[in-house]
Parts: sequence; C-alpha cells; structure tokens
Amino acid sequence: MTGTDVQFAICGSAGDGTIAAGDILKRTMAAMGYKVIAFDIYPAEIRGFGKCISRVRVSIEQAYSLKRRSDVFLSLNDAHAIPHVGEVRDFGAVVYDDAPIATIPEGAHISAHIRPAQLPYGASFRQISDKVTGNARARNLVALGYLAGLYGMPRDAFHKTIGRKFATKAASVTQVNVRAFDAGYDAGASVFKLDDVVMAPPPVGADGSRAQMMTGNGATVRGLLDADIDCFFGYPITPATSIMERLATDLPKRGGRMLQTEDEISAIAATIGAGYAGARAATATSGPGLALMTEMMGLGVIAEVPSVTIVSQRGGPSTGLPTKTEQSDLNLAVYGGSGDAQRIVLAPTNVEGCYRCAGIAFELAEKFQTPVIVLIDLYLSNRYETVIPPEVKPFAPKAIPDAAGRSSGPFKRFAFTDDGLSPRAIPGQNGGVHTITGLEHNELGRPADQADNHQRMSRKRHDKLLAATRHPGLTVAKRFGRTGKVDVGILGWGSTFGEILEAMYAAEREGISCSAMKVVMLSPLPVHLIEPFFDDCRIVLVPELNHEGQLAHLVSGTLGRPVVRLDRVTGAPMEVDTILAEIRRLALGPAAGNAA
Amino acid sequence: MSAGLHYVVIGAGSAGHGAVTTLRARDPAARITLVTMSRLPFYNRFDLPRYFRGTTDWRNLLAVAPQIYDELAITLRRNSRVDEIDGRARTLTFSHKEVVGYDKLLVCTGGGGHLPEVLVEYKSLMHGFATFEDATRVARALPAKGRVILLGGDMIGLDLARTLIDTGHRVTLVAGEFTFWPHRIDAAKRAELLAALSRAGVDVVTGRTPVAIEAAAKPARRVIFEDDSAIAGDVVMPFFGSMPLVDFMLGAGVDMERGILVDPRLKSSNESIWAAGDVCQIWSDELKEYRFLHGWKNVRLMGELAARNMTGAAEEFDVTADFAIGIDASGHVQSDFWEQ
Amino acid sequence: MNEPLKPVYLDEKLVEIRADGHQDYRSKALPTWCPGCGYFSMAEGFTQSLKRLGREPEDVVVVSGIGCASRFPFFINAYGFHTLHGRTLPVATGVKQANDALTVVAVGGDGDAFAIGGGHIPHAARRNVDITYMVFDNGIYGLTKGQTSPTSVLGFTTPTTPYANGDEPLNPLMMLLAAKASWVGQAYAGNPHHLTDMMAEAIAHRGFSYLHILSPCVTFDKTTRTYKNLGMMVRDLPADHDRRNLMAAMAEATKVDRPALGVFYEEERPTLADVMDGIAERARKGIAAE
Ligand SMILES: Cc1cc2nc3c(=O)[nH]c(=O)nc-3n(C[C@H](O)[C@H](O)[C@H](O)COP(=O)(O)OP(=O)(O)OC[C@H]3O[C@@H](n4cnc5c(N)ncnc54)[C@H](O)[C@@H]3O)c2cc1C
Ligand SMILES: Cc1ncc(C[n+]2csc(CCOP(=O)(O)OP(=O)(O)O)c2C)c(N)n1
Ligand code: SF4
Ligand SMILES: [Mg+2]
Repeated sequence: MTGTDVQFAICGSAGDGTIAAGDILKRTMAAMGYKVIAFDIYPAEIRGFGKCISRVRVSIEQAYSLKRRSDVFLSLNDAHAIPHVGEVRDFGAVVYDDAPIATIPEGAHISAHIRPAQLPYGASFRQISDKVTGNARARNLVALGYLAGLYGMPRDAFHKTIGRKFATKAASVTQVNVRAFDAGYDAGASVFKLDDVVMAPPPVGADGSRAQMMTGNGATVRGLLDADIDCFFGYPITPATSIMERLATDLPKRGGRMLQTEDEISAIAATIGAGYAGARAATATSGPGLALMTEMMGLGVIAEVPSVTIVSQRGGPSTGLPTKTEQSDLNLAVYGGSGDAQRIVLAPTNVEGCYRCAGIAFELAEKFQTPVIVLIDLYLSNRYETVIPPEVKPFAPKAIPDAAGRSSGPFKRFAFTDDGLSPRAIPGQNGGVHTITGLEHNELGRPADQADNHQRMSRKRHDKLLAATRHPGLTVAKRFGRTGKVDVGILGWGSTFGEILEAMYAAEREGISCSAMKVVMLSPLPVHLIEPFFDDCRIVLVPELNHEGQLAHLVSGTLGRPVVRLDRVTGAPMEVDTILAEIRRLALGPAAGNAA
Repeated sequence: MSAGLHYVVIGAGSAGHGAVTTLRARDPAARITLVTMSRLPFYNRFDLPRYFRGTTDWRNLLAVAPQIYDELAITLRRNSRVDEIDGRARTLTFSHKEVVGYDKLLVCTGGGGHLPEVLVEYKSLMHGFATFEDATRVARALPAKGRVILLGGDMIGLDLARTLIDTGHRVTLVAGEFTFWPHRIDAAKRAELLAALSRAGVDVVTGRTPVAIEAAAKPARRVIFEDDSAIAGDVVMPFFGSMPLVDFMLGAGVDMERGILVDPRLKSSNESIWAAGDVCQIWSDELKEYRFLHGWKNVRLMGELAARNMTGAAEEFDVTADFAIGIDASGHVQSDFWEQ
Repeated sequence: MNEPLKPVYLDEKLVEIRADGHQDYRSKALPTWCPGCGYFSMAEGFTQSLKRLGREPEDVVVVSGIGCASRFPFFINAYGFHTLHGRTLPVATGVKQANDALTVVAVGGDGDAFAIGGGHIPHAARRNVDITYMVFDNGIYGLTKGQTSPTSVLGFTTPTTPYANGDEPLNPLMMLLAAKASWVGQAYAGNPHHLTDMMAEAIAHRGFSYLHILSPCVTFDKTTRTYKNLGMMVRDLPADHDRRNLMAAMAEATKVDRPALGVFYEEERPTLADVMDGIAERARKGIAAE
C-alpha cells in the first residue's frame, strides 16, 4: 500500500517542539515536490505549556483542504493528545512515547485511548534522545525521524531542512538534531509495519526547489511586499498579528515603515493618511478591529482615498472566539459603516490567493480610489500550503498621480468623468492643492449638501467600482467541475471553498451532477459570472462558517434568486462530509424529482 | 450484577477474547479491560499459516471486527505489556509505567515458543512463528520454492508444514522428542506418523540432534548436527512446544510450576486471580497432577468458564479430554488439534 | 440662540481679503465661522506664519477633525484633509510617515482633541511625530451648538448640563507635558501677533509641537470664556521661565486661573522619522535586537 495522500498530525505542548517538528516535515515534503497543506494550532494561553497541534497533509495530487481524519497521529504529550486520538482514521497509526519517566495512573497514557481499529506504534523517544544527544530536548526530532522512517521517506531531504532550520545557530545544533532525527529514523524504519505504508514518490518532474511552505498570512505579507508596500500600520489582534510581525522585520529592510499604532482606529486612520499622501499603505486586523475601523472606511470611500485592509476573521461577535475560525464578518466588510459606502472586498480561497489578492489590492485601491478589504479567516491565515512564488513580481507598480501639466484653475479632485474616476494629486505636487473631506462635497472637494449633488456623487462612487469586477489579472469568481447544466451547484467563499471542492468532486464521483463556484470579489459582486451559474444549477447550496448565511443573503439578495444555506459555527472548518451529505440530500431529495 | 467492578483480562488470544465476551454478557455494568502485547486485535493464531496462501493483509486474519470492543464497551489495550502484578494491592503495571487497578484478574497470556538450551544462542538465526509479524518475516525470508527446516516439529509446526508443501515450498523436518507435541504418543506410533509425513513430501531427518545454526550465502542457513553433518535451507524454524509466558507473575503471590497453577474452577492461589488457556496448569483429581491442555478449543472453553466463575458460577473444567492423532483414509496425518 | 452661519463659498467671485503676500495661503473659500469667532485669528496667524517660514502651499498638509475649529483646512490654500471627529493625529501621522518632506499641521477643537480623540494624543506626543498640533480651545462644543467639553469650567450651564457642569476640566498643557510632547506652548486668539509668532515657532520645531490656543465661542458661550474674561485672565510667562525645565513648565501649567502665554517647554530628541530610519538601517544590516 503506497501513500499518495497522507495526513500527519503532531500534538504536544508548547515546550515540546511540536510546531517545529511539523514545520520540518512540511518544508521537507514541499521541497521534494509533494503538495502540502498544513495547519498549526497554537495554545490559546499566552505562554507556558499549552496545547499545540500541527497537521500536515502530504499528497501527490493537489488537495484543497485538510482531511477530517488524520492517517498518522504523533503524541509528544499524552495529556494534550488524548482528546484528539479519535481524529485518527480506522487503521490509521497512533505513535507515542512508550517509556514515560515515572509511573502514571490508569488512563494517563495515550495507549489507553486508542480505538480498537487504530494502530498503536510505541517507541521511547525520550530515551533515544537522551542516549544520542545527552538530553531529552531533541525528542521531537527523534519522533519526527520515527515518522519519516516508518514511511520510508528519504533521510537526506530531512537533513537539508534541519540544516536550513538551524542555519543561524551553531553547527553543533544542526548536528545534534540530525543525530536525534537519524536515531528516530532507524527505530521507525525497523519497526514492524502492519500496513506496509511507504510514501509514493513525488510525481515525476515535480520540482520542489522553488516551492515554499506559506501560511495565508505569510503569503499575504509576501503579496504586500511584492506589490512594494511603503507603509504598514497595525494593532495586534489574533489571527492577524503575524502579518504585522513579519512586516516589522521585512518592511524596513527595503526602506518601508511599520508602525504599531495605539488602536485599530489609528491604524486605519494612518493608513488612509499615508494613502492620501501617495504611499502604498495597508493595515491588518480581525473582526473587532474592523468594527472600530468602519467609520474610517466610510471616510476612505467618500474622500476616495486608496487603502488596503487585511481582515482575518475569527469567531464573533465581540471578543468571541479569538482562536477559532469563522466567516462571520462578511457583512461588516461589505456593508460596515454609516451611509452607502461600497468598497472593494476580496476573499481569497487559498494561500496562493492570499498572495494574489493582497498584491493586487493596491492596484485596485489606486485605480478605483477606494478602500480595499482582503477578507480571510483564521483557518486560511494559519494554514500552510505549497506555493511557488512567481519569479517576476506580478503586480502593477504604484500609479503615482500627477497633477502637473493640467489646465489652470482650481483642482477638481472629484471631477465627474465617464468612468467615475477623477484625477488625483498628492501633497507635494504643485498645481494639485485641494482639500478632501468626509462631508459630502462638490467636484472641488468643498462641502456641499445639495440634493442633486449628493445623488450624483453617490452614483459616481458606486458606479466607478463596477469595472473592478472585470479588472484584468484578477479572478473575481470561478466555476469548477462540470460545465453546463447541473443538478446541484455549490457556491462558496474564503477558506471553506477547499472543503467545498473536495465535497463537490466526491459527489461527482458518486454520480451526482454538480459543480462549484467560488466568489472571490464579494463587493462589488461579479453578477455577470454568478448569474449564469445560477442559470445552470437546478439548486444552489451555499456552505459558509457563520450562523446567519451572510454570503447566501448577499447573493440571493443581489440576484433575487433562492439558495439553500448550510451554516456552521463550530469554530472549526466545515467538514467535507457535512457538505457532501447536504449535496446528496439535495440531489436525491424531492426537489430533484421535480426538476424538469 | 456487580456495578463498577473492574475485570482485567491479560491476553487477547482465544482464551482472553472468549472470557471478555462472556464477562460482558454476564455483567453488563462492569468495567472490562482486555490487554495484549500485540498491536492487533484478536486473531486466531492457528490461522497464521494462511499467510502463505495469500492472506497477507492482517485485517483478513482478524477473528472479529475490531469495533466489536467498542460495541461491548470493552477497553482494549494493545501494544501494552504487563510487567508486574501486585496481587495484594490488586494492580498491574505496564512496561510503559501506567498502573491499572483491578477487582478480578484473569491471566490468559498463553505460551511462547520453547527452545532447547543448546539452541538459545542461535535464536537470532531462527524464525519464530507465533504472531502475524513472525509470519510476515518468514514469508519475506522464504523465496518461492524455498526450503524451510523445521526443528522439533510440534503440531503447530506440522500444521505450517502442510501449508508450505501445498504452496510449493520444500520442508525438512528434524524430528525429535517434541515432534507431534502436544500429543503424547509411543515410539511405534511416532514412526508410523513420520512415515506418513514423508509420503506427504516432508524430508524427515531422524536421530540427529541439531547443535548449531549458521548464516550462509545461499541458501541463507545451515543447521549443524552433533556429528558435524549439516543441512541447508532458507529458513530455520523451531517448534518445540510452548512455554507459558508468566515472567510478569513472579511478584503476584500466585503458585506456579511451569504455568500458573489453578484448581478445576481455574482459580489460582490468589483470591482475585484466575488463569485460562495455554498459560495455566489445571489440577486433575483423577491424575493427581497439574496438567496443560493446549489447543484453541480447550483454550476458548477455559476462557469462557473462567469468566463464568469470576461472575458467580462454580463450574469445573473437564481435564480428562485429550486429542487423538492418527492417519486418515488418504494416508495423511490427522489430529484433533488441527480440526477447526 | 444664534445658528452658526451657513457656509458661503466664493469660488466664482473671489474676494481678496488682504492685499499682502500671505493671501497666497488663503483658499478661495470664505470662513464659515460666526462673525467674531476667535478662529478667524487662527487662519490669519497661520497664513502669516507659513509666509514667514517660506513654506510652499503644496508642501503643507493641514489635517483636521470635525468641529468648527476643524473647518480650518477649507480656508487655507494648502493640501487639506478634513477627517473624522477625533482622528486628526493618526491621519496626520500616516501622512507624515508617507512623506517626511511635508509640513504637516493637525488642527482641532477641544472636544475633538481631548474627548473623542484623547486616546491618540499621548502616542503622537511620545513618538515625537514631526508635526504641529494646534488645538483651538473654546471650552465648548461649537459645531453641535454648545454642549460642555472636557475643558469646560465647573458650573458651566449648557443644554447637556442644565444643572451645571460638575466634571472637573482637564489640564491640556499638563497632559501634553506628561505625554512627552517635545514642544508645548500656549497662545490666545485675542493676541494675534503673539499667536502668529507661536505658530511659526511651533511649525519650525523639529518634532511633535503642541500649541494650545485659547479662544472664545462668541455664539454659544456668553458667560465664561468671553474675550473680556480671557483678556483679563491671560498673562505672559515669567521672563525667566526656563523652557528646558520640565518641572518649571509643569508648575506654570498648574496655574489654570491665570493661563500663561508663551513656550512652556522645548526639547530636541529623535523624531518618529529618525527612529524609522534607524530601524531601516539596522534591518538592512541584519541587526536584530535579541
Ligand atoms: C501458528 C500457530 C498455529 C496453531 N495451530 C493450532 C491448531 O491448529 N489447533 C489448535 O488447537 N491450536 C493451535 N495453536 C495453538 C493455539 O493457538 C493456542 O493454544 C492458543 O492460541 C492459546 O490461546 P491463549 O488465549 O491461551 O493464548 P494466546 O493465543 O497465545 O494469547 C496470548 C495473549 O497474551 C498476550 N500476552 C502475553 N504476555 C503478555 C504480557 N506480559 N502482557 C500483556 N499481554 C501479554 C499476548 O499478546 C496474546 O494476546 C496454534 C498456535 C500457533 C502459534
Ligand atoms: C463620531 C462622531 N460623534 C459626534 C459627532 C458630532 N460632533 C461634531 S463636532 C463635535 C464637537 C465639536 O467640539 P470641538 O471639537 O470642541 O470643536 P468646536 O466646534 O468647538 O471648534 C461633535 C460632538 C461627530 N461628527 N462624529
Ligand atoms: S466656535 Fe462658536 S463662534 Fe466659533 S464658529 Fe463655532 S459656534 Fe461660531
Ligand atoms: Mg470646542
């Protein structure tokens, strides 16, 4: 039996090197040319010995989501791992340390909890680490080596990753870790395997040398950097903080600036201030921060100032579930704020998409002179996927407005034009002096509350954005699977789309006529692509991680078409099986019989 | 019945499995834990020769679906070796240092292959045949049409020999006092049976005592005899009957000889400990001795009877039953031990 | 009560208010403030000071919040950003982060500054963002027609304090000194020449300069901060006041019954831009603070 699609889960406490082990695993697999998708869970506690889980799915074919059931589960800390044993599939392996230091009461060892159909693999990681390195610290590498040995993966690929990981440390650190890894590898390779599982070799020609393991947040940062971001302003909030932290390191290296502001209001205010002054500026936050930012979003809309806001959603409302994923800020992102304040909202569905959306956001913000929100969620923020970054930066350089050479007279910053886009000038430019305001204004930017002016300006601000749905180089919506008429259509957005795709393909294999569409641009809605999809589907299902069916309302409200909602707010990604069951129900239900 | 009692059964073979299902049927409220060193749930060891007939996926060997333990609310502890029993405190300690308490304990740890003293140092050059892992290793080491040298030749080994001949392998039997164990037979019968084996295609070696084993190029093994003569084969397998696995019982405060000594009700000298299967020696009033009763049918009945007695019954095990061995109409060796 | 006058825009028929050079710094919009409002002095003083400093209109950005005071940028010929109530400082910080070469002046009223925007003040001050913050303090919410503000005096009766204001007014100068503003001064709308000097000095200061300007709201406050009252209260800082002495500045700032005019405190220290440049340099050299 060869593994073409194996999901590893490593569970331990913060001090065990759990995430580090997962990290080496995923980077090695990616470098070998496998497709990797991974998700780490860190402790909710700030410090100490909280629970960590690293899940790594390694496959030959591209996978779209993590599997609900892991194939292999490694415990580095039984107390933390025990509640998770159930996630291992039948005949999947549970790997653990079988030599605790002291006696423990009944039930404290993970072997007490392994289900009858799961396969136990015990080895003494601690003792092996002690023996080959002199202490137990490297037992995570021993355990990782054991997994690699068990699956017959090439040793030297791991050695390379380990070397890279500890490149900044003394050479002895790498040596110790390699020794620990090798000792574990030998144990894993020699253990009697019940199922003769070996990882199938990566596809011929697969080149992992340029592949990188990136999280959604990491790819977002990369996108911002490749789009030559100048300034970033942020206020720490889970799960967006790592964006800010990474930019704090990387942005100054290229002369850019990162400032930690006193709150989210300041963060967006400064972003808009910098955008007004001609910089490519961005901020990043989560739902509670976006709630604080909405007043400023409105200002950005009416004053027509470019800005980019990355929003990584978590469970809400209020402080909600800070460490759990959810997709419940769609309404806030699309509508949040006073008045009619349409802005551009992009929701990538995978890590690669985070890169593209974050990068192109500046282009859109500048071209359409508007706030752009890139809406992701904790699951996408933190999950790793293999990404091959383009060799040439794929984003348009900053469009520096130029007021020079225009005809004399006062500068009409908000001049009415055919496409609704007015000339822009930035401070420092001669001939473009003007004042912008959050008050409704005339073409000059002077306060003006006449009825017809407000009507025209509102239309200008709304209509100018419609062209964004046809902006070149950006996938605003895309259909997957079967083309033409189908029985069940699944419409989705954001991180959930991975599970939707897996469910859709599974349903198709079962003979159900179905097809899926992702909506990346949530505002303005690409009706010209979504409407034909509805025309082709007898029934449209909208699975999303919120309780109110936010995309369902947005789409059915805009199109005036019914949808079937599938809402879940468990704090976890939607399960493929849940979606699949709903597809089956819809396909076989009485409605199917009625279909002409 | 007795709500909250914790029954622990060590050994998930025929005896242990029979015991836990009986315990559950008779005491729906009890906690029941079944312990095994194996990574596999219960399978019948006598099925292992099937490996050579193509049953290489262990799932197909399992005697019951593993989920049955969930359904019966029996905690199955696999990959867990018991290292120690404290008969007074009524606890057992696993090699992974977990301490588990019990109210009533049934020991069904069966037996391991017995090796004559002289061959112990060559253990690593021989292939045992007690577990699925063993079967896999033998199969890997044995080329097509390869030769297996059986030392001793108890009924377990001869069962394997029948299969190997069917599957095109060659078998050499180095016969001795353990040949046909656990049958107790006289010299005449022995000669008759050996002749039948020869006719069935087994190369029978008699009157020579193996004293050493060597690794060689091809085939991979040589068995050296007292007289310095030698035979060659791909795999050497010892079949000298079985010895109870009782090391962990040494501190339990239970009377033992070779196995755990039990009365006909399968209770040991400790109030809370019973034993069943290949691991125990049962007192026979008739024979006035403790005797082993091997074979899966005996063993399963023992497990079930012990479980009934642990839950209030007072039944006695029939110690007189014995296996018959002979030669059937078509000239093949025929034994009750093999009958399934 | 009087309504503040509706805005009057004279884009078409430009009326030059003054004939001298600082008109270049006046926009073509006529101020919408009530006749007699102290804020006229601010516009006048500001344009004078820009002229004195020789800053080109296109290199100046005036950022304001919401309120009568915050209407200010509309009346100035420079880049202007009339933002949100209370958010002047973070927007100004962003503008300055984007382009160090700009002269950035933040403007707002006392409510804008110390009520809704109070949370931003200490941070802009301690970071020493190289901008000038001018608060026009009339001790009242002018634009919303006369409610109490954080600097209203005790006992002030307004529509929201019909039984008299019982909230102790805060001391803006103490607050700014405590927040490490690197330049702190006070001026009075009724003393326009001194006001112009102070504005020029505040803008010239390298770092975060805070200019507190006392001003009457002639429409909604007929009793407390009238020109008459303010004129009698204000005094000059003592001639020997040491503007480098923080404790001396604090001591003067506590004398709220006799507000002093002049520069309370001044120090030179790295600005936010300096800090950013330092970070960029260390980042490029790969020096991370362990
Ligand atoms: C290859 C082979 C073929 C056979 N063929 C036949 C046949 O044809 N007919 C027949 O009647 N008999 C046959 N037998 C014998 C028969 O299988 C045994 O009599 C029977 O298996 C004994 O059952 P048991 O339950 O007593 O012990 P076993 O089946 O040996 O089970 C012992 C259990 O105890 C566990 N255990 C042992 N020590 C410990 C410890 N310290 N801690 C935890 N767990 C422990 C083991 O993991 C195992 O689960 C054969 C045996 C083999 C190996
Ligand atoms: C978020 C928000 N809350 C309330 C208001 C209403 N509002 C506008 S100006 C103002 C107070 C103005 O007082 P101050 O800042 O002292 O300026 P002044 O008008 O006195 O110059 C208020 C409460 C607003 N515009 N925005
Ligand atoms: S502050 Fe008072 S006087 Fe000045 S414009 Fe406002 S309402 Fe009129
Ligand atoms: Mg005021």
